[in-house]
Amino acid sequence: MPRGMFKSGRFRKIFVKVPGGNTKVHFRNRKPSKALCGSCKKPLLGVPRELPSKMANMAKSKKKPARPYGGNLCSACTRSILKQKAREVAQ
Amino acid sequence: MIFDVGRVCVKIAGRDAGRKCVIVENHGNFVTIDGNVRKKKVNIKHLEPLTKMLDVSGGAKKAFEKEGWAVWKHKARKAAERPKRLKKKSVKPVKKAPKLEVPKSVEEAVAKVEDKAPEVKESEKPAEEPKTEEKPAEAKELEKPADAPKEESKVEEKPEFPKAEDSFTKETKEPESEPSENQKIY
Repeated sequence: MPRGMFKSGRFRKIFVKVPGGNTKVHFRNRKPSKALCGSCKKPLLGVPRELPSKMANMAKSKKKPARPYGGNLCSACTRSILKQKAREVAQ
Repeated sequence: MIFDVGRVCVKIAGRDAGRKCVIVENHGNFVTIDGNVRKKKVNIKHLEPLTKMLDVSGGAKKAFEKEGWAVWKHKARKAAERPKRLKKKSVKPVKKAPKLEVPKSVEEAVAKVEDKAPEVKESEKPAEEPKTEEKPAEAKELEKPADAPKEESKVEEKPEFPKAEDSFTKETKEPESEPSENQKIY
């Protein structure tokens, strides 16, 4: 019988074929949800969906885009915001 | 035209987004920009034009400095020295010659041979001596008379034991030691 913490659904099931030929169930942590844009709520591109343990060992340039608001806003929203600011300065 | 040379724009895409720039060259849909950004060729879709125009004949960055705006300064990174791979010197291990285990039977045999060896030498020595003894007996006899008187003289030279009287006299002649203080008291 699996332990109580494995029956709650917090972990994902993985069916592993062991060397003896039997199939065994392993429980692993679920991956975090996809990063979404702060304004339009679309999934962000260029932001990996990995466990914190893997993200910690990842390069800074691989975690999020290098542009302003990278990792928080999508490119379209960023562009619109920057346009608005530029037009405010021009006026 | 909007995107003419000298037009001040704001970059709205890429890692330089939000920075001011000025158009240096025009290539149709693409323009070369300089100023507070990396000097590069970009699409006009990535630019938001402003109303201001600058004279870039003396250089875009100098014009920016005249306006008092920030200028992009390229900081060359110093490449870290790569660790050199040192070849490991292959040292051949010196193989020690294995000690030959001599069986006890062989050692005993060697010991026996060593014990016999001196006996063989002794047997050889007597073989040489008889050569000297092979001299004829007559020759020895002839030699003996010459040596005879010498032997006699040797016998005469032998010191005689001292006589008992002499020893006694010597003891008597020696002066007696002075009596000790204790003896004097008695």
